Amino acid sequence: MDTLGYLGQGFGVALSPYNLVTALCGTLIGTVVGLLPGLGPINGVALLIPIAFALGLPPESALILLAAVYLGCEYGGRISSILLNIPGEASTVMTTLDGYPMARKGLAGVALSLSAWSSFIGAFIATCGMVLFAPLLAKWAIAFGPAEYFVLMVFAIVCLGGMAGDRPLKTFIAALIGLFLSTVGIDANSGVYRFTGDNIHLTDGIQFVVLVLGLFSISEILLLLEKTHRGQEAVKATGRMMFNFKEASAVFAVNVRCGVLGFIMGVLPGAGATLASAVAYMTEKRIAGAKGTFGQGDMRGLAAPETAIGGAACGALVPMLTLGVPGSGTTAVMIGALSLYNITPGPLLFQQQPDIVWGLIASLFIANIMLVILNIPMIRIFTRILAVPNWALVPVIAIITGIGVYAVHATTFDLFLMIGIGIFGYILRKLDFPLSPVLLGFILGGLMEQNLRRALSISNGALEILWSSPITFGVWVLTVIMLLMPIVRIWRKRSAARRTLADV
Amino acid sequence: MLVQRIFASVLLLVCAGLALMAWPYQAAFSYEPVGPRAFPLLMLGLMGLGLLYMVFRPTPIVHSDDDPQLDRDTLVKIGICVVLLLIFAGTFEPLGFIVASILIGVPMARLYGGRWLPSAVIISLMAVGLYLLFDKVMDVPLPLGVLDVLEN
Repeated sequence: MDTLGYLGQGFGVALSPYNLVTALCGTLIGTVVGLLPGLGPINGVALLIPIAFALGLPPESALILLAAVYLGCEYGGRISSILLNIPGEASTVMTTLDGYPMARKGLAGVALSLSAWSSFIGAFIATCGMVLFAPLLAKWAIAFGPAEYFVLMVFAIVCLGGMAGDRPLKTFIAALIGLFLSTVGIDANSGVYRFTGDNIHLTDGIQFVVLVLGLFSISEILLLLEKTHRGQEAVKATGRMMFNFKEASAVFAVNVRCGVLGFIMGVLPGAGATLASAVAYMTEKRIAGAKGTFGQGDMRGLAAPETAIGGAACGALVPMLTLGVPGSGTTAVMIGALSLYNITPGPLLFQQQPDIVWGLIASLFIANIMLVILNIPMIRIFTRILAVPNWALVPVIAIITGIGVYAVHATTFDLFLMIGIGIFGYILRKLDFPLSPVLLGFILGGLMEQNLRRALSISNGALEILWSSPITFGVWVLTVIMLLMPIVRIWRKRSAARRTLADV
Repeated sequence: MLVQRIFASVLLLVCAGLALMAWPYQAAFSYEPVGPRAFPLLMLGLMGLGLLYMVFRPTPIVHSDDDPQLDRDTLVKIGICVVLLLIFAGTFEPLGFIVASILIGVPMARLYGGRWLPSAVIISLMAVGLYLLFDKVMDVPLPLGVLDVLEN
């Protein structure tokens, strides 16, 4: 029962007044950031890193702030999906399917509070799962050597492609771009300058805040230029704000099922909230059968994806904390934040800095409760923020992005680099490349190369070390399965297409 | 399709160039079996293979409904926006944060459909407000530039 003791200690950290205020600020900032077009959890968290650092927050508070922002962003994204029918990000697409019809029926307040509640249950289930499994996984992960880590990271990258569905090749190329970008700068082992072009600003490599803000903020600013018109008016959130007991109990079974599903999907690298919400929605639709009114404002159709997103968002923290291998774009950003504080996430973190790990887990509970409570009095203010026109918003986003980048190293070179990366990101987006694999590759690249070189140093250059242990062999088998998945999927689709052609 | 082919070919050339650049990377003396050039070369090689496949078999881009086709107008706007951002980066230190922000913020607001007067008022207020918030409250040092005289 050490776990409970540690959890109690974690609540001690998270409930200190200072950290409570931090969590409250984080949820508020996160909600606003998630609401605004052009900002999502990834650049929201990235923007706050230099600021948290400049404020001199201690590491556990900084991590609590970032986690609260992360959860707040997920919540804010939901507001624009329900009231405007515009998903703030990919994972909330499923929320619009039943959330917007509910709002049209005059149940906007209920839809918002019910979704906050669902997400809370999802996060609660996932946090319980995390409390149970993370220490076990961490204990197991101590047995990992460099070879195991290298193979695990290969698996994480391949998972991204295998799970991404319709465009595995583009996902791979995007991840490889990220992996390559991580090699820019001075090589720590040999002191060789790689790809710097004799530019002193590149000797440290590309700063990851610069990469994140360029890829996600600048490209989004350019993308928003195409959509200057805003068609839909926000549905007014009037009437009843809170769901009642009957409604909550009607969706409770859905909540539990989708919470567990979301947690599992969140733990798997590469799957993440987007896939979890889609799978949850489809499954619940099938379970409800003909009796459901999915797509016309069924409460279960709203609860299912929201619970899954909540579960997946917390589940994604498990591989990040225990293995140091991020499973999603946002957790990749958090790893970057931790490395600024010189903290390396991984199994040892649980032993050496339990305050940070358990404080973070406890603050997830608290941030979730705060979000449910905030929903009731604040929703009118949040809907007003939705009415801010793009012309006032976008220049401010651009300027704040500039501040965030400048705050890291105080050089204008970083600003130019960010713009360059932003243009490249915009082109990638227009060509239908996913961007978060670039980020994940960038974070994993350094670790991957170090572990590969360490492993081969141990074996004195013999490649067998990469597959000789049972763990590495098992992970390779999984990797091959993941590689085959998109091929099988494409093949199935083709044969299905042929069959329909034959029928006609 | 053509755009993707061109993009993949250009990126392929860049890969080849970077690989050439990486070729001479060797440690002067080393105790390790793997030097500094193996990993980047491996990544570039894999990327090259993927891009080569893309040159010959590009995947069609699925357009969603709310995703309008790029026309000349939008491209011009994007060009202007990029130039404004570059001006921002260039004037950030010499002119200072507040002046640079107003200089690019107002035309940018116009680009997104704002009118002159409201854009000028809101952006100017935001520039000063953000400066005070970040520089004074949050301890993120920002350059004052030409407004340096006001400080003393």
